[in-house]
Amino acid sequence: MKKIWKFLSSMRFAIILLAVLALACSAASLITQGQSYEWYARQYSERTAALIVALHLDDAFHSAWFLLINAFLCVNLLFCNLLRLPQLIARTKAEADPARALETEGAAQAGPVRDPGRVFRRLRMPNPVSTATADGREALFSSAHRAGLWGAWVCHLGILLLILGFGLGQMTQKQYTVYGVPGQTRPIGDTGYLLTIDDFEVGLRPDDTVEQYTAAITVRDVDGRGSQSATVSVNNPASLYGMKFYQNSTGWAARINVQKDGAPLQDEVVCAGEYLIVKDKPDLVVFFSAFYPDYVLTPGVGPSTATGALKNPAYLYQVYYREQLLGMNVLMPEEELTIDEYTVTFTDPQNYTLIQIKADHFTWLALIGGLLTMLGLILAFYVQPARVWAVKNDVGWTIHGTCRKGGALFRDRLIEAAREEGADASS
Amino acid sequence: MLQVENTLFTVVMLTYFAAMILYFAFIAVKRDGLARVALILQSAGFVLHTAALICRGIGAGRLPMTNQYEFATAFAWGLCLVSLIFVVRFRFPVLGAFAAPVIFLIIGYAAMQSREVKALMPALRSNWLGFHVSTAIIAYGAFGVSFVLSVIFLLRDRMKAQGFLDQHIPNKEKLDLISYRSVSLGLLFLTFTILTGAIWAERAWGSYWSWDPKETWSLVTWIIYAMYLHLRIRRGWNGRAAAIFAAVGFVCVMFTYIGVNVLLPGVHSYA
Repeated sequence: MKKIWKFLSSMRFAIILLAVLALACSAASLITQGQSYEWYARQYSERTAALIVALHLDDAFHSAWFLLINAFLCVNLLFCNLLRLPQLIARTKAEADPARALETEGAAQAGPVRDPGRVFRRLRMPNPVSTATADGREALFSSAHRAGLWGAWVCHLGILLLILGFGLGQMTQKQYTVYGVPGQTRPIGDTGYLLTIDDFEVGLRPDDTVEQYTAAITVRDVDGRGSQSATVSVNNPASLYGMKFYQNSTGWAARINVQKDGAPLQDEVVCAGEYLIVKDKPDLVVFFSAFYPDYVLTPGVGPSTATGALKNPAYLYQVYYREQLLGMNVLMPEEELTIDEYTVTFTDPQNYTLIQIKADHFTWLALIGGLLTMLGLILAFYVQPARVWAVKNDVGWTIHGTCRKGGALFRDRLIEAAREEGADASS
Repeated sequence: MLQVENTLFTVVMLTYFAAMILYFAFIAVKRDGLARVALILQSAGFVLHTAALICRGIGAGRLPMTNQYEFATAFAWGLCLVSLIFVVRFRFPVLGAFAAPVIFLIIGYAAMQSREVKALMPALRSNWLGFHVSTAIIAYGAFGVSFVLSVIFLLRDRMKAQGFLDQHIPNKEKLDLISYRSVSLGLLFLTFTILTGAIWAERAWGSYWSWDPKETWSLVTWIIYAMYLHLRIRRGWNGRAAAIFAAVGFVCVMFTYIGVNVLLPGVHSYA
């Protein structure tokens, strides 16, 4: 049991997990995700497709094996941090202990100097405390940046919280989409709330490129007990009733008017990509296939739009009867489509908005994890624990020092500081 | 302003090229004075490069960090900045000599890209763009310097003792430490890049992590350098092996930058 505990918390296990994770991520990114077996078979071969599906490489980031790698990583980070905590506390105390420093072997050494205080200052060490060596010689000691010892620990804690926050968020979050044109109200999934699109505006630049999409929305509960309104645009989501609302995308909608023998039968706003089932003849369906705001017909290419601006609108439709395609064509605004006694017209093209709604109660945990990871890295890399002490002898003071992450560079700094002090003293 | 930027860009390329030649001459002729002139020239190139980026920003009416050309020229700028800091901080002109061709290659790559200024799509109109891309530039620059240091380390490892190079290249222990410092800087900024990108993505797309190829490969790069740091502690990989590992890490950085854009398009396909 002890062996398993030791292995699970070991750096060796961490390195293995990191390597496996890197391999898994790179493999998954090279294989197009979320496709069918047939798609992979077409793309690669039957055998490769079977392998991809069997290993869940088609949805690698949600597969059991990928979750398992991350679970092991969490266990490793947790055990590692738990195990290191008492050691770190002891080490932090030891770092500030002059007696321990004076016993250190292999520390960098420089001097002698006359005024050790100036060397401490040159090395940006806090004011030294007086102490004495085991043989009774006068000594000065200073310790700095002990927080740096905690860098890796804080970083590991941050990564752990980040993975947990992300994982819990993925497991519990709820996402919905609601789309429509201004004036429409639609339910937000099973939340018991209704969303009304009060207004939607596509801000265009002079060159007809889109600058911003802005929607004004109102959310109310189905019982009508209260409502909250907000404006959402790309990069500016709104929080209402514990959910976040995002301006996600847009498309075109049009009013489809159906007349039977010249009498009004049906009048509905339909988004491109939606069907209209004729009221008194459900077998007859009009599919609003696409909309071209600035219609052009290019031979060999087919219908398309020259710009995004509403200059020359045209509607592409398909008509089905009992799921059999009767016909398809492009209809201009003034044109009518006649099917037996029915007359269909498309009018009033307008943009619809697609609002994405999300409730993730663990985003804050992931954010704290991310910030702690940053803090940990700053502590680990840029807060370097250092101890410097000076011992008095016959010719002056000898300067000693250690820096856990400084190595030869710290040794050089110490020697240089002592030399500069020596030079200043002699001048 | 864009015309001024165009002219400045050409001058910057020529200045970096001249600095590179002078650095090479410094190594070939073994005269310290040439390294000093090369450093001055590289610094001048950096100042002009900064001016070019500012002109581009003013001309485009936004931060110049949103397409391949802009990111490539900013990448070269970041690499130049980090290498200058390391050259001056560690009194290490040979680093400048090895960094110069990499800077020139990257700015050459930028020169091959389209310089057309296009209007930004709404998702890119965010204050987070500046934080996200500028930290990526520093991260890539620092990883570029660590790559250059790895090459120097590996060359030094193979070279016989030579008076001139011994004087101008730090010993292996220091070289390894300097490389570690540049990897640390890169990893810190890469973490910042990923974090700011996640915050931005959450605001723009409602999802702070969606396994987009660029995101995934940034994570892979992060993991590679995290492994580098762990292996240094665990196995004492602080010499040749660490240098090779840091070089592999930079290959990963380049794949994240260019390979992903070309081979694996996603929401970052404009970058």
